[in-house]
Amino acid sequence: MTPANAMKLNAVALYAISAVLLVAFYFQFELGELPCPLCLLQRVAFTALAVGPILTLRHGPRPGHYGLIILAALLGAAIASRQVLLHIMPGDAGYDSALLGYHFYTWALLGFVAAMLLFPGQFAEQAPPLGLIETVAVWLIFAVTLANGASALLECGFTWCPATPVHYELLYKPA
Amino acid sequence: MDSSIAFLIFAAAMWAAWLRDPRVAVFLFALGMLFTLAVYLHHATDVLPLSF
Repeated sequence: MTPANAMKLNAVALYAISAVLLVAFYFQFELGELPCPLCLLQRVAFTALAVGPILTLRHGPRPGHYGLIILAALLGAAIASRQVLLHIMPGDAGYDSALLGYHFYTWALLGFVAAMLLFPGQFAEQAPPLGLIETVAVWLIFAVTLANGASALLECGFTWCPATPVHYELLYKPA
Repeated sequence: MDSSIAFLIFAAAMWAAWLRDPRVAVFLFALGMLFTLAVYLHHATDVLPLSF
């Protein structure tokens, strides 16, 4: 794989992470499904996945950057696995909606495992110049991460996130 | 609040990765991973009444 194609692959990874987070936002805001603490932590792990590709886009492919991706994916897979196991009993309805038959924490587990497997070593001495696609990818994931931080603050307020969220803490006015 | 802090740490890591020294980005990444692990362990004993 050429260095230019490796950079494109990392930009595609950033777009994919943004897409995952934006789909989660759709289910949160359009369908009114509040993310639980484990759901939020899986989103955090997806944003952690983005640091490695951004380093690669800016400084060129390095083994350490892929190491960061693997570490973030391992943490995300551990969190998603715990949530899958919480809902593994027969008759359990699972948490929130399913997409194509699987709940989001199951998709998250598959995504984190895929992130560990889909990055072959692509090493070059110098980073090739960046185009608009790569630059937009970086700023998109940065904006989506900040939006997630604001959303989590809206949901949890200035304290620990509730175990079972039922309303937005900062918007809630008790009757 | 806890998740918001985690998101902000990783946003800062992205910012450092893009505009600053990669060592700062790696430090912030490690800080975010440890913080996320701590939040995960904090929620490990949560009662989940909607799950069962």
